[in-house]
Amino acid sequence: MEYVIETENICRFFGEDDLRAAALDDVSIQIKPGEFSAVIGPSGSGKTTFLQLVGGLDNPTSGKILLSGMNIAEMTNRELSDFRRDHIGFIFQSYNLIPVLSAEENIEYIMLLQDIPASKRHERVREMLFLVGLEGLGDRRPAQLSGGQQQRVAVARAMASGPDIILADEPTANLDSATGASLLDIMRRLNEEQNMTFVFSTHDRNIMDRARRLIHLHDGKIESDEIK
Amino acid sequence: MILKLAFRNILRQKRRSLLTGLSMTGGFVISVFSFSLTEGTYGNAIDFFTRNHTGHIQIHAGDYHKRPKVYKTIEGLDSIEALLGTENRIKSFSPRVFAPALAYSGSETSIVSVIGVNPLLESKTSRLKEKVQSGKYFDQKMTESGFFKVMIGAGVSRTLDIGVGDEIVLISQGADGSTANDLFEVVATVGNKSSFDNMVVYLPLGAAQEFLSIYDEVHEYALLTDDVSKSRTIANSFQEDIDHVVDGLTVSPWQVVESSFYKSMRADQQGNYFILGIIIFLVCIGVLNTVLMSVLERTREFGVLRAIGSRPVDIFKLIFIETMLLTTLSILFGLILTIPLLIFLTQVGFLLPQPIDMGGVQLYELKGTVSSIVLIIPALIIYIFSSLVTIIPGLRACTITPRSAMSSH
Repeated sequence: MEYVIETENICRFFGEDDLRAAALDDVSIQIKPGEFSAVIGPSGSGKTTFLQLVGGLDNPTSGKILLSGMNIAEMTNRELSDFRRDHIGFIFQSYNLIPVLSAEENIEYIMLLQDIPASKRHERVREMLFLVGLEGLGDRRPAQLSGGQQQRVAVARAMASGPDIILADEPTANLDSATGASLLDIMRRLNEEQNMTFVFSTHDRNIMDRARRLIHLHDGKIESDEIK
Repeated sequence: MILKLAFRNILRQKRRSLLTGLSMTGGFVISVFSFSLTEGTYGNAIDFFTRNHTGHIQIHAGDYHKRPKVYKTIEGLDSIEALLGTENRIKSFSPRVFAPALAYSGSETSIVSVIGVNPLLESKTSRLKEKVQSGKYFDQKMTESGFFKVMIGAGVSRTLDIGVGDEIVLISQGADGSTANDLFEVVATVGNKSSFDNMVVYLPLGAAQEFLSIYDEVHEYALLTDDVSKSRTIANSFQEDIDHVVDGLTVSPWQVVESSFYKSMRADQQGNYFILGIIIFLVCIGVLNTVLMSVLERTREFGVLRAIGSRPVDIFKLIFIETMLLTTLSILFGLILTIPLLIFLTQVGFLLPQPIDMGGVQLYELKGTVSSIVLIIPALIIYIFSSLVTIIPGLRACTITPRSAMSSH
């Protein structure tokens, strides 16, 4: 498998007739395993839409998306859910943790969906919490954690299922620069140590500096694709 | 963890969950109360009149029950009684004869009903012996004066102004067309003015058969079964058995014998069920509102759950479990509340200021009963309705695309 993500001429339009607007227009990208890439561009350029499409959260108006060589348009709802569960990790700008679950339970939940035995789940949760530097805070609910800590939990949750791809939608946007940098360190380390593929959408200069590939979107089209 | 998640989601909006839970608890308690009272009252009424006279099942010749005539008698009593003796589900039976008669004593006369019973068998089948107000329960023997013994209803006693030790003359028509008349001695009075047998003269069976010229024949067998609720089934199966022994007999359960009471009871029960249905419907509207609100508020969260790999069915399951959990907690709380209520209903009940006439049966008090039906049916109805109202919000939550869900606020 040469590419983990491959899009062919994908378009995503919203609205109809005169109100029809292109969020993505004829975008073709190939991303190899282990890449640490960032999709950049001004607000409204289509970054989030791109991540949602390659994450199988939305369907393109036209075009084809292959994830690990599989065409997601041909998957049933259930297959797509299972594919997301096993192959894709999401990190959202606003953390999106389940408020009634503790940090540990938020991380464990996805493994529960994978039917992983309890002992193995608990071991993996401890490992993930250690990896993101939150040992001892596992029993706290999201509301009892700072923004940075919540985003670390989100990173740990995204990693817990052992995905091939991590899609991070402006993961540092709500964090101060020091916290953002430290989180980025964690993600970079995971990328290097576990060869996970990271795709960010971001405005953050820090991420742009560290990314090895910058895909610049403008008005839904690829303006530039720079490999450092 | 799903249970934990569901439980915590219920606690997320404590006040709302509490109000919804209380409405379900209220619906459950009202339903149990109503079921208990209805089942108890009718159970007591059925017991009252079946044990008072009717029995659980009756056997007659042909259409005697609908068109009674003195000559429509049951023959072959030995075969029938042998068959009754082999039927385990029948606890006791009593053969009876009936006839209208003119009674007089001194200068007073009155129209009465004559009922001939076997004193021993009747005492095992009905409460006739317990209804004796004065004198002694009769037997088949003659008095010292050489007369057959009779027991009279309170109305006969009052109208003819006679009591224990007095003589009474009965005039009627025998089955063979002859005039039946004889002198009897009163040994007991039974019941009171509101009893169904107010104007009845009870004769020992042999005396009544001789009086009406229906030797070795009777008009009716009243049977007591081991379970009144199975009367219809037992009657049907006994009809098949008896058809092999004697032709032309009709076996009827109490529901047929006392069809006016049974119909009025069923109509009343259906009215109660309708009102209960409305109460539970209103409760479920509240549940629907809560589930819908909860789903709307958590749309974004469902989007996240879908994004990280929950299948649509997992989301539906979560919402369903939350509703079932709230329902279960509400019913458990309701069960705790119903314990003292049921104790009160079954032990004390309500004394009616005026008796209620139910198809001829007078109800003086309303008492509840405790049975699996009383508790299970209301719980089951609430569970079913709660499950049904979960379908629409559940489908909404699980069919929305993750992107749409996550862009909601």
